[in-house]
Amino acid sequence: MKKRMRTWASVFALTFALTSITACSGGGSAEEGTGGTTGGSGQTAEAKDTITALLPPVSAGFQDNFAQMEKDFNALYPNLTLKIEPASWEDMTQKLDTQVNAGSPPDIAFIPSGSIAKYVEQGMVMSIDDIATQEMKDDFDEAPLEYMKQGESLYGFPGYMEVHGIGGNKEFLEEAGIDYKKVQQEGWTYDEFREAIKKGVVKEGDTTSRYGFVFATSGVTSRDYLTILVKNAGMPSPFTTDHKFAYTSSNFLEVLKAIRQMIDDGSMPKELSSVDAGKRWNMFLTGQTMITGKGLATFENSAKKNNEKLEANDGSAVQGSIPVEYIVLPVPTFAGEKQQASVAVDGYVTFRGKKEPTEEHKENVVKAAYFLSSGKVAATTNNDLFAAHITDSGREAAKEMTIDRNPDNVEAVETLLKQASPARPDIPTELGAKAIKLEDEVIIPKLQALIAGEITPEEMYEEVKSAAVQTFGEDGVVTE
Amino acid sequence: MAQIAKQTKRRRIKGDSGYGYAFIAVALVVFAMFTAYPVVSAFIISFQQYKPLGSEYVGLENYIASFNDKLFWKSVYNTIIYTILTVPVALFLSFAVAILIIPLRKKLQNIFKAVYYLPAVASGVALSVVWLWIYDPMASGILNRMLSVFGMSNTNWLGSSSTAMFSLVLMAWLSSHGTSIIIYLAALLGIDESYYEAAELDGASFIKKVWYIVIPCLKPTTLFLLVTGVIGSFQVFQNAYLMTGGGPDNATTMVGLLIFNNAFKYFEFGEAAAQSLVLAFIIALISFIQFKYLGKEVEY
Repeated sequence: MKKRMRTWASVFALTFALTSITACSGGGSAEEGTGGTTGGSGQTAEAKDTITALLPPVSAGFQDNFAQMEKDFNALYPNLTLKIEPASWEDMTQKLDTQVNAGSPPDIAFIPSGSIAKYVEQGMVMSIDDIATQEMKDDFDEAPLEYMKQGESLYGFPGYMEVHGIGGNKEFLEEAGIDYKKVQQEGWTYDEFREAIKKGVVKEGDTTSRYGFVFATSGVTSRDYLTILVKNAGMPSPFTTDHKFAYTSSNFLEVLKAIRQMIDDGSMPKELSSVDAGKRWNMFLTGQTMITGKGLATFENSAKKNNEKLEANDGSAVQGSIPVEYIVLPVPTFAGEKQQASVAVDGYVTFRGKKEPTEEHKENVVKAAYFLSSGKVAATTNNDLFAAHITDSGREAAKEMTIDRNPDNVEAVETLLKQASPARPDIPTELGAKAIKLEDEVIIPKLQALIAGEITPEEMYEEVKSAAVQTFGEDGVVTE
Repeated sequence: MAQIAKQTKRRRIKGDSGYGYAFIAVALVVFAMFTAYPVVSAFIISFQQYKPLGSEYVGLENYIASFNDKLFWKSVYNTIIYTILTVPVALFLSFAVAILIIPLRKKLQNIFKAVYYLPAVASGVALSVVWLWIYDPMASGILNRMLSVFGMSNTNWLGSSSTAMFSLVLMAWLSSHGTSIIIYLAALLGIDESYYEAAELDGASFIKKVWYIVIPCLKPTTLFLLVTGVIGSFQVFQNAYLMTGGGPDNATTMVGLLIFNNAFKYFEFGEAAAQSLVLAFIIALISFIQFKYLGKEVEY
């Protein structure tokens, strides 16, 4: 009995050890069969091949359509299999980064175009310049396609180009006497905006029951706040065209002063530094703010859905919310500079593994990336997001789809897209990486301190200036 | 002669030792794969600029960059402050709760053990979400509403440099003492009853019994919890990552978070590996000092 027990225990122990070893080595071999690591060896164009894609929930219904997308792709290219791995937005970066650093990324991943540079630096993205056909490239609007470039190379296709602006409550805007249609068409200066948001404040005794403007600034969202504002202060990119760091210019100080002024005026809450994206949207729907940021076109849809729930007495409506009509608004301009809308271009970026993929596999990956970013798939996704279509094939496919949007908002978004700040593929990856680190380690922490009222705009400006000079040198920064 | 030696060796392996080797092989394989290999890899990577398609040897550059980085030292400072504020209080609270539970009936003891251990099995992310709710900066926030009863104005708990670290410390004070309480309870049950009887005969009060019997007898347990607590505290990552992201103004950037950012945000695995080895050295040094000065009279 004792001997049998020992034998079984030994068997279990060794099985456990072997399982651990297998678990560690198995991943590699499984990925070799599908992903960019091998990308099919020595196939012909007609040979069977599998393309892997790591995709987040780009729109509400996006991930529900994966099976249909895979089926449609296979119907279009019978020898090819598109294998989509879903990921949440929260997991997306970490999942992709782990796969990239292990040398076995998926063939395609949906990521912000701003992240391309760091993967170029790693040598893990696949240039599709020579593989994408002219017909494919011509299908895309020029501006968003440029965002998918780094240097001269194209690293995928854009999914959408969304305007990052602000949004207002129609009823409150009208109550405050703001001609929002004029603002949508002509924009507004910071002084006009400052006066407008002052009018939006409602006080009950000492307590503010409604603020004029609430922008999410907690944690990483503070980066959005600063980026959106500085673009309209003559700094569409952290670097000027001659590659000098721009956030040392005097206009940057003007923006910092404005950030503090709006809080000191009482138009924005003094607790702004802790307001996250969820909180400020809740404040917007519950009537605690007249204008919210950042604003995306899709918020019109979210507000509409909540209105429908309120009308139907549905308990899942946001607690304490009121019917809201969302109005797209431009960000104000600073220091007499022209309006340059902040845009987010996210898209299907093409990756490679440690082994050089075959030409056939590269072509197949491009086919899959184009399939996902154009035609019916793009039309459905962008309609879901209330985002503008950026491909001719998408516009064509969208003609058959109905969408209930406020025509004023559609026009405002189109105007803003025309004023979109241009892509800057010319910025060297090393310089870009330095700027990101400077932003993360100095600019954003100091901005949080500024919003919390712990430092003055001038102190922050000096800190940023000194860190920028240290990073880029005296000659590497803007001085006027 | 050689044949005799071979037979002896076979006999040795055939006996109990064979099973022994098989059993420790499991632990050895797991340790080699999940501890030794990553540590050796981290050591090698700390001298490299890591890239998936081929790393480059850079000598001591990553260590020099870390030592010259103000943020690294700020994060070390933050971590030390966090450790000093959390570990002793956590130990005291665990000890106090254990002392309060021990006189209770077994059934009641088990209920309290389960209640106090519950946060340890709850997801850290879920706990953080609850705490974010508690620390809501607006007047409607739970903590702010409680304090308003005493006439205090609302505080921007996580958004201000002056309160963000305290908020994380308060969170640590009020959660996850379950493991320490159970370890203390087990140690308390191990104290011979005759000590208490003798003390009672001498007319010792409750406080004196705790001071002269319980605390000395629990010294090995306290040392164990102190060392593991300090190690855990130095590696703190989750709370700062989920609650403040290291902000505002890097007031809650801990070393663990900095290492994570360097590795997974900037892909600077070499610098992250160098910083993690420096952290390991600091932890080892502190543990050595703790054992040297506090472990003198401890008998195992």
